[in-house]
Amino acid sequence: MANMLISYITLAMILFSIGFLGVISRKNIFIVYMSIELMLNAVNLIFISLGRYYESMTPQVISMLIIAIAAAEAAVFLSMIVVLYRKRKTLNADKFTILSQKDAL
Amino acid sequence: MIDIIFIMLSFLAIAGGVGMILFAQPVHSALSLIVCIVALSGIYALLSASFMFMVQIILYAGAIIALLLFIIMFLNVKDEALPDEPNKNTTIFFGAILLIPFNFLILKAFYTLPIKQMDILDSDFGGIKLFGHELFRKWLVPFELISILLLCALIGAVVYARKDKKNG
Repeated sequence: MANMLISYITLAMILFSIGFLGVISRKNIFIVYMSIELMLNAVNLIFISLGRYYESMTPQVISMLIIAIAAAEAAVFLSMIVVLYRKRKTLNADKFTILSQKDAL
Repeated sequence: MIDIIFIMLSFLAIAGGVGMILFAQPVHSALSLIVCIVALSGIYALLSASFMFMVQIILYAGAIIALLLFIIMFLNVKDEALPDEPNKNTTIFFGAILLIPFNFLILKAFYTLPIKQMDILDSDFGGIKLFGHELFRKWLVPFELISILLLCALIGAVVYARKDKKNG
């Protein structure tokens, strides 16, 4: 079981689905962010298991670059959450509608 | 033996992920995301990616989620300020049913690959030496671009978090 590609892909797909469900079902913006991180982790797992399958180091380098991008994303996203919470005093993602065009029409 | 370790690590990863989207408090969600990420790093070790195993623990669990926990505790959101989510469980249930066909499609695509034994390798595949060779020979330009991206994110985070002078 642990030496077959399909079990790792199954695990990665389950984790990606959990992250997607978190994005569509939760309103707390912290949990939306954590679900995005979980989806990035699932993609990393697919990359690394395919790298083991083809015995190539390239997917590991790609997943390293993905982790670096996730770190940059964490810094920007979390400082944005701090500013939004300071102005609106809420974490509800449905309340952040300042760019919405609904009222302007 | 390896199979038992794989099953335990996958169970921990899935339990951490499910706990993350079900807990109401963001702190509990972040802690269960740490469980999920550490279990995933064990799975990287089973795939003989020893350098990525260390990077996952140090960078993800140690830096990104620690920063997230720091921000959650820094904001110190009260229970009544959390958004109420009445339709959460219903959305998760029907969303899970909707996602099953897509998952089967992707798994069917991977079933067509020829079966190959993926035991843990004795050679230094996944070690830091081969990783550095690959990174600094073939991926040098993306590596330098990542450094510019990190610098931009640093400046952007400082500009965002600075206090607005007009509004005080």
